[in-house]
Amino acid sequence: MSTKQDEELAQERLIDLAAEFYDQFAAGEVPRMNIPTRTKSNIVFDEDSKVWVYGDRTSTRSANSVRGARKLLKSAYAIEFLVNQLEEDRSSTLRELYYLSESWDNEEAQFQSQDESNQMIEDLEIVSKVTREDFHMRPEESGATLMGPLELREQTRRGERDIHCQEDVGEGGYQIPNNPDTIEFLDHDIDFVLCVETGGMRDRLVENGFDTEYNCLVVHLKGQPARATRRITKRLHDELDLPVVVFTDGDPWSYRIYGSVAYGSIKSAHLSEYLATPEAQFVGIQPKDIVEYDLPTDPLADSDINALESELEDPRFETDYWTEQIELQLDIEKKAEQQALAARGLDFVTETYLPERLSAMGVI
Amino acid sequence: MTSIQSTLGEEEGGGIAEELAEGQRAISIAEFFEKNKHMLGFDSGARGLVTAVKEAVDNALDATEEAGIKPDISIEIRESGDYYTLIVEDNGPGITREQIPKVFGKLLYGSRFHAREQSRGQQGIGISAAVLYSQLTSGKPAKITSRTQRSERAQYFELIIDTDTNEPEIQVEEERAPGESDLSPTHGTRIELEMEANMRARQQLHDYVKHTAVVNPHARLVLSEPALDGPRHYERVEGADLPAETEEIRPHPHGVELGTLIKMLGVTESYSVSGFLQEEFTRVGAKTSEKVLNNFRDRHFGREMGWAVPRDSDVDLEAAITDAVANKGAAATETFAERVANTLSSRERTTHSELSEIVDTVADDVAEEYDANFGDTVRENAVEAAWEVLRSELTADLYGLVDEATSTRKDDATVSGLADRLADKFDKGDHRNRATYATVVEYVDRSADRIVSEDVTFGDTARENVVDALWAAMRTVPDDVPKVSRVADDRDIASQLLEGMREADILAPPTNCLSPITAELVEAGLKKEFDADFYAAATRDAEVHGGDPFIVEAGIAYGGELEDGTVDLLRFANRVPLVYQRGACATTDVVKSIGWRNYGLDQPGGSGMPNGPAVIMIHVASTNVPFTSESKDAIANIPAIEDEIELAVREAARELKSYLNKRRSMQKRRKKQDVLGRILPEMADKLSEVTGRKRPNIDGALARIMNNVSVERDVDGDSVTLVVENHSDRTETPKITEIVSSQPADLPDAASVVDLDGEWFITWEPSVGAGETVKLTYTVADDADFEIDVDGVDTEKLTIDA
Repeated sequence: MSTKQDEELAQERLIDLAAEFYDQFAAGEVPRMNIPTRTKSNIVFDEDSKVWVYGDRTSTRSANSVRGARKLLKSAYAIEFLVNQLEEDRSSTLRELYYLSESWDNEEAQFQSQDESNQMIEDLEIVSKVTREDFHMRPEESGATLMGPLELREQTRRGERDIHCQEDVGEGGYQIPNNPDTIEFLDHDIDFVLCVETGGMRDRLVENGFDTEYNCLVVHLKGQPARATRRITKRLHDELDLPVVVFTDGDPWSYRIYGSVAYGSIKSAHLSEYLATPEAQFVGIQPKDIVEYDLPTDPLADSDINALESELEDPRFETDYWTEQIELQLDIEKKAEQQALAARGLDFVTETYLPERLSAMGVI
Repeated sequence: MTSIQSTLGEEEGGGIAEELAEGQRAISIAEFFEKNKHMLGFDSGARGLVTAVKEAVDNALDATEEAGIKPDISIEIRESGDYYTLIVEDNGPGITREQIPKVFGKLLYGSRFHAREQSRGQQGIGISAAVLYSQLTSGKPAKITSRTQRSERAQYFELIIDTDTNEPEIQVEEERAPGESDLSPTHGTRIELEMEANMRARQQLHDYVKHTAVVNPHARLVLSEPALDGPRHYERVEGADLPAETEEIRPHPHGVELGTLIKMLGVTESYSVSGFLQEEFTRVGAKTSEKVLNNFRDRHFGREMGWAVPRDSDVDLEAAITDAVANKGAAATETFAERVANTLSSRERTTHSELSEIVDTVADDVAEEYDANFGDTVRENAVEAAWEVLRSELTADLYGLVDEATSTRKDDATVSGLADRLADKFDKGDHRNRATYATVVEYVDRSADRIVSEDVTFGDTARENVVDALWAAMRTVPDDVPKVSRVADDRDIASQLLEGMREADILAPPTNCLSPITAELVEAGLKKEFDADFYAAATRDAEVHGGDPFIVEAGIAYGGELEDGTVDLLRFANRVPLVYQRGACATTDVVKSIGWRNYGLDQPGGSGMPNGPAVIMIHVASTNVPFTSESKDAIANIPAIEDEIELAVREAARELKSYLNKRRSMQKRRKKQDVLGRILPEMADKLSEVTGRKRPNIDGALARIMNNVSVERDVDGDSVTLVVENHSDRTETPKITEIVSSQPADLPDAASVVDLDGEWFITWEPSVGAGETVKLTYTVADDADFEIDVDGVDTEKLTIDA
């Protein structure tokens, strides 16, 4: 829940950070900022929370080099901007921040690319231990959608709204707001949460009435899921005690989508505890399914093979299950999309594949 | 005219030959000059003028230096109608009245041609060629004024060269009092030449004079020419001494050719070759001479092969000797035979000469002991008898040598086959088994050819190995070498001697015949004529090529006012600038072959002339600089010289590299300092805005970032502290001078104070280790003004907050 308190805390933390740089200067030291190294070799499994978080390795942004000094200068400007934004109770998108920097009086402080400004916000999040939502920074694209027997209350700028995610919404479903912590769950009839990667498959499930038939909440991931999508998934699991399953294509990129839902992503490992749902299970398409259901396939591209091999070294996928599946896929050299199931008829996925898989997994 | 043979005209009673003979006459010097003027550097009016200047200036420099006078040379070029007049004047010792006509009016007259000593001119062709060129183009005589140091009056000559006889033709000869003479210094020589010319080669002329000034820092030059507003002065480097005096050296045995050797043999006063070698050559003493003579003996007489006493033969050596000795009494004969036989048996092998010596020694001993007389005949008989025995089993000896010389892959049959055939050759050859190297080669070749078949090969390497093994086993003979007179008369024998000389290891010639400019003066010369930021120079040690010692020097100037673009290459030989034919010169080739990118200069394509605001100079000094042609414009591509040029240039280039690296890192540091000096204050401002505190002091952080030395003054009432922090990774010793407006007190001994008109200069030179801080304290009245000055640390690395 974003409250006045959170905002004050965020503001305080940002000013503290500026004060830290100030003190370093005053002590005749070189201003610097230590942040965890954000690579896959520096994430470790946290036994307590069962999610992957950053390890002990840190990188230093130091004013020792021209590059580091520019970064710190930009941080100082970004801190000022965020503090003012919170002061005025406004919000902006990451992209807006990038363009906004153009208006700063100091050319050295302006961002060269949006990647740079995005990374800066991530740095500040990590160092200040405040999420960017509390900085009032929004991502560009909105969160994805929900469809299923769930009633909730959303705090909007126009007041509170009670919404039922089947009855009060259109075919498109309920749009997840940028900060899902403004939502309160009122009532539900859900047996399990099904996260779906592609829009086509989500629409197929809704059209076939899968959500009503199995009392399932269909969450559309829209590819690599936004933070809001992952956050609401986690809340559904934690607060409503619902099993979560993830249904994606059968290729290495889709396994990473599952990975970020279940274990947290490398770039936001500092927020894993807040975003990841370690209990989420993978439905498919598994490489095993490609063989068993004899699905239409595409050959693996070189980049796919590299991605699979790099996943074999990714600590998040170091389980017997994933090792076996990835090695199998490298062996058969094939990948399949979710929609490949349509080769057996439009109803195959809802009538055969999912019921078979879900009962095998013990979800239904 | 060799293509037309006189025999062609035989039918007409030799008419053509006579006809041809009519057209055959001595070529006049003028004709020779006309035909070869390109070779002498006079091929065009533009170039002729430059060459004339060059010859006159070279002469003037040589003359002054020889007399131990620092050269003062003026060069003047005037337009005179359609012609140009060149006047070169020096402050040299002057030339005596008798010599003037010969020096200037006779080609190929000079003292240098025969001398092995570094000098500018060599052939004595230069200045007289200029005189000849002037008289041929303008028809005017050369006007020469010279006054010697002791003389009150100057000699004035107007002369031309008689082109038929190559003799000077004097047109005017006067003695002039100092007031009447044009010569400005109290002694010296002035030459005035009028010639057809143009100033199209003005650049080359200026280059020549400027470059001459570079390599002759001890000389003062003045150039006037029509296009210059006034005379251009090239000053002397302060403290530059005259070049070290050179000493003439005798030729080195490795540097003479056959013709020269025969000529030397013809004129020497030595009777023996040994005396001749030690007398006429440098670096030849008794030991070296003996080495040469042995090489000469091997070539002239051949070596002797020796043999071992046969082991399993039934020939009895002792008995054979006994038989050969007659009427000497049984005891004496027996002792004699026994001793000779024992001596021979104990030796690995014995040659005929060695055998004779042994027999002589034993015979003398035995004769004394037994009071008998061993005459020449007896000795000869004994030698022959013993020699026959030694020669009776050649194959066994040769087998050993061949077996050792050939690889293990040669089977026994091949080795013994070859030994067998070699034994035959030696047997049929010279009785004493003497053979020259060539003969041994022939023996081996013929023998090997005989045994080669489909299954047996005996290649060149194997043959060479056998020849070398045989030659090594053979011994130089003790015979006396021919006398000088015989060697001089016989071209073949002389050639054997020359080969012997070349083969012997002989010390390199002495280098006091050379006078390098020295690295120090090369740098001074460059500094004088080029306004650059950086100078480097290198002088190599002397090396030898073909008996002539040489020294290579190189210098580099970089940056400053030098123009960017292709690097300028200045080439010098014996202190003379080379102006033309740059592309044909070994120095150019070497510079192009160096990878200049390694040394921080731009080089398009990674080879060829480098680019950059730089000048490279190369000086080759030698008793005989090998030029590509008589005009002496380009140094020939001699590998030994090229190697030295490369090493010298690289040596100087390495200094350039470290300079450029340092400059680049300083530039980077300055840039970093600029950027950080802008960014960090802005960051500090922003931080004070956000935190609502006053702006922090960031100098400490800046100094730390720049690995700097920071000097900061803290004043607390009347006590002053200078804090010196060294953030670099090495010890720094800054020289800190504090200037205060009233008298300081409480200073430690290490500080010195000087009172200058009410200002006190306090100086410290603290040594501050890497990462350390030193505090310098004193007290002063609290209304004092301060000013600080820090030396000994690059400004880029210094942050002063005081």
